[in-house]
Amino acid sequence: MSDHHASPEYYHGLIKKFKAVGYTLIIATLVTVGIDYFVEKYEVSFPKALAFAMLVAVIKASCVIAVFMHLWWDIKWKTISITMACTFFFFAAMMYLTITSVNDVPGLDNSYRKLPGQAEHSALADK
Amino acid sequence: MQTATHTEVHHDDHSHAEQSFWTKYIFSTDHKVIGIQYGVTALVFLLFGFGLMMAMRWQIAKPDQPIPVIGALLESVLGNVAKDGIISAQLYNVFGAMHGTIMVFMAIVPLGFAAFGNYIVPLQIGAPDMCFPRVNMASFWAFFLGCVTMTVSFFIPGGAAQAGWTSYSPLATSLPTDGQTYWLVAMVLLITSSLLGAVNFIATIIQLRAPGMTWGRLPFFVWAQFVTAFLLLLAFPPLEAAGVMQLMDKVAGTSFFLPTGLFISGQPATISGGGSPLLWQHLFWFLGHPEVYVLILPAIGIVTEVIANSTRRPVWGYRLMVGAVLVLGFLSFIVWAHHMYLTGMGNKVATFFQTTTMIISIPSVILLTCLFMSLWKGAIRFTTASMFAFSFLPMFGIGGLTGLPLGFNFTDIHLHDSYYVIAHFHYVVAPGTIFGLFAGVYYWYPKMTGRKMSEYWGKVHFWCSLIFMNLIFLPMFKQGFDGMSRRMSDGGATYASGEGVLGLAAESIMTNTIISHAAWGLAIAQVPFIVNFFWSIRNGEKVTSDNPWNSTTLEWQTPTPPPHGNFITQPVVYRDAYEYSKPGASKDYLPQNEKV
Amino acid sequence: MEIPYNSTQRPDTGLYNAKVGIWLFLASEVMLFGALFSAYVLLRVGASPGTWSMGLMNIPVGTFNTVILILSSVTVVMAWASLKLGDFKAYKKYQIATILCAAAFVLVKWSYEWPAKFTHYDVTFKDATAAKDYFVAAYGDNHSKQVTKIAKDRYNDPELQITQVPLSGHIVGYKVKGDTHVHDVGKVMNIWNGAWFWRINWQDTNMVALNCPKDITAVILHADGADDDHAKPQHAKTASLSTDAHSGAGSKHHGVEIPVSRIKRLSSLEPAHSPFFAIYFTLTGLHALHVLGGIVVLSYNLLPIGTRLWLKDPDRFANRIETTGLFWHFVDLVWIFLFPILYLL
Repeated sequence: MSDHHASPEYYHGLIKKFKAVGYTLIIATLVTVGIDYFVEKYEVSFPKALAFAMLVAVIKASCVIAVFMHLWWDIKWKTISITMACTFFFFAAMMYLTITSVNDVPGLDNSYRKLPGQAEHSALADK
Repeated sequence: MQTATHTEVHHDDHSHAEQSFWTKYIFSTDHKVIGIQYGVTALVFLLFGFGLMMAMRWQIAKPDQPIPVIGALLESVLGNVAKDGIISAQLYNVFGAMHGTIMVFMAIVPLGFAAFGNYIVPLQIGAPDMCFPRVNMASFWAFFLGCVTMTVSFFIPGGAAQAGWTSYSPLATSLPTDGQTYWLVAMVLLITSSLLGAVNFIATIIQLRAPGMTWGRLPFFVWAQFVTAFLLLLAFPPLEAAGVMQLMDKVAGTSFFLPTGLFISGQPATISGGGSPLLWQHLFWFLGHPEVYVLILPAIGIVTEVIANSTRRPVWGYRLMVGAVLVLGFLSFIVWAHHMYLTGMGNKVATFFQTTTMIISIPSVILLTCLFMSLWKGAIRFTTASMFAFSFLPMFGIGGLTGLPLGFNFTDIHLHDSYYVIAHFHYVVAPGTIFGLFAGVYYWYPKMTGRKMSEYWGKVHFWCSLIFMNLIFLPMFKQGFDGMSRRMSDGGATYASGEGVLGLAAESIMTNTIISHAAWGLAIAQVPFIVNFFWSIRNGEKVTSDNPWNSTTLEWQTPTPPPHGNFITQPVVYRDAYEYSKPGASKDYLPQNEKV
Repeated sequence: MEIPYNSTQRPDTGLYNAKVGIWLFLASEVMLFGALFSAYVLLRVGASPGTWSMGLMNIPVGTFNTVILILSSVTVVMAWASLKLGDFKAYKKYQIATILCAAAFVLVKWSYEWPAKFTHYDVTFKDATAAKDYFVAAYGDNHSKQVTKIAKDRYNDPELQITQVPLSGHIVGYKVKGDTHVHDVGKVMNIWNGAWFWRINWQDTNMVALNCPKDITAVILHADGADDDHAKPQHAKTASLSTDAHSGAGSKHHGVEIPVSRIKRLSSLEPAHSPFFAIYFTLTGLHALHVLGGIVVLSYNLLPIGTRLWLKDPDRFANRIETTGLFWHFVDLVWIFLFPILYLL
């Protein structure tokens, strides 16, 4: 946090924010679990459930990073913001390119993956 | 301010504390001692890794003939795998895998990044020590433990890891010996060490620059180390994750990298399957490619320092070089799959990686061009250090340019996994990086010991090394074009009698012998260096000033060798890093901390 | 010698040393867990039907763990704010609360969640007849409903056939060659004290016994949610444990007796069970190691050495607590993503 010698009122204000974020996080957790229940009961499609769960997780994560980790106040310092921006870019590149490359295979035949439990056939015998 | 008074109070009780032998030389928190610890350990492993290679070269040149003298030793230590002093295929694989691992992770990186970085970076930026001295010590001891684990693995039943330094699964996982497990544990320790080191370097460079040492005034060596540290920081963790997963595959029977339907030695493997061998390759090369720049950047940094000093003029295009090295670091994270063109990758992804690979050659060329331009109109001093630095340029040039055909996926199909690849990356790392590191040893030796190494024997070392390095690696390009594959324990003798496309040209196999002799010649060429190195500690020519090379950067403005805490008074920086031959100045160099 | 900016901020970067250090460390941690998340996605996308075996997670327990980790995040940041207000007592109180939450988290994992996986067994059968026999034996007339339920809940794929879903439950006994009576395995079998388990490749037709008595002929499986008193089918027997010498409490159990010859694969929900459990144990294990590391650092700051630093240099001590807190929030952050991807989706 930037100011080392701020007044007690400043920190009392912060404490209120910390508590508010704490409640938000717990409520968000319960919401995710509740949604999971709905997904099962009303057969919500998987992509929708995934999108929602990730949305809630990202909101929770943003709360933690912004308030608990003081990034809201610290992001003006280039050391932190540039480092973290690069990190997330490289992380995204790693995940996206890795998964793309596995699926971008000419003539990829997924049928061989069908074998577990498909009676007695072995993977190689199928071909 | 309240804290300022505290600082002064502490100052006293730290600087006057008497240090015992253990805290001063073994568990030291002084960055210079740690740098030397790293340097000595790394040089030992450099020699060890070279020794493994020489044994392999014997097996390639004279397949299945006992090695004289060493053979008996190997048999007595390692047993059946070196029966009658002959290197078996299994032992060849062990040596091959460990040569790569040791050279990359236990020799070059610790020497270039950790040893020189630790010793020089705090001095060059005018800091009293690293940011976190105890973390620095922890980093060295994690490295040391990793080295011990890796070395011990030679002596366990079945020997050390055999699946190459890349440790591709499923091969690495399905080998029945424990060598791979040791390899993984050792790698986790080495990676931990690198991470601690990287955090420390970046924090030090950001936080502890002396007053006036702005980013634009940093010596280029510091910039190179800064980018290297970022590469280690962000590229190594995926390999650590992959290492943990492969360790799970080895010890807990999981199938992260083992596909469904895997047969081992004709038997269906007792695993669940469902894993992806490609996943290992992606995570490995996500480290593996930035690692290439981790190997080369510290050397470029050293070469820049030495060239600026020995041409007596400022580095040409300092800002361009800094920009290039930053772009290089950034791009190196998105080129990794050019190592994997032959895994059945589709056009989209292959094109992407081919494009980024071609783009990344631009900053490399900028760096090299700037260094060549720096020679123009210089008043060149031909010291041993500068000769190593100059020869780095063409050698690294050859290594870099021969990489282009490997970066295009259509030419890579022919050249992949051939001796061409070996020649290419050894040109980058052996006559490239190692020459840079030798330049650093000769250049900074007087700062570390107060004495110079012998110039005569240094030049003998230089010329012999240059000739033998090229004799080793140039013919390998030809062998690669001829289709000689890597990792053949008999040097291709099996294919000598083959017909047409399957057979290897006879001269390719004959070349093996020439290369092997050159390799042993290179070993002999290192004797002057080793003797010179130890002899000069006590008997070298004493330096008469703290700045024997008349250099501008801050590491020469300290006592020799620098005491704990480095600078007598806090240096203040007034000028750029390389103000040599400034018109109107009284001498041909202006130290960064000299007020006019 | 004193390192500059240990407790004060460097004016141009605005940060003290440890804060730069911890953010850099967290950047590397992002890449570490990022690689494992990538592995998760890649393995899941590539999984063939009936192999992504999630859905046996205990959601209430997971939710409880999430909530206490969030609470610990609040207390750790409150501890720092207390220091900034000069209230060392409140700091101690909050920090102890943090450690208790962290300990509770690890304890739930160590004593309940992980062992529950190791004691839970999946059986898949060699052919459709065998599968049908034993599903009927376990669930009676409900068996086809049960197959659909397992297919949907655990594999997210209602199309799966009976041979593709496992009969899942606890092993309560076994039979050995040349002996007709059932051996009790104690309370429940687990690989720690029972020390025997089987694993097998999907394709293999012969079961490979790993680390277990070689002459076992049958296992008694108490299937999840199965009634004990339904009608006994013709092909399969249900066995009730004999009340002989070593049965004890186990005699209350009833289960389906499954001859080894009809089993294709038997495995507890250990890491080797499937890619899902492999990544589950790796991710939660690595995360738990981070929690343990956090406990060590938090406790270290509570020792007298911390108090002394507070009295000598309060700013530096507050910085130390802030950096510890940053690490701790990151551990919480990882769990925020782990919880949905491992328990819910």
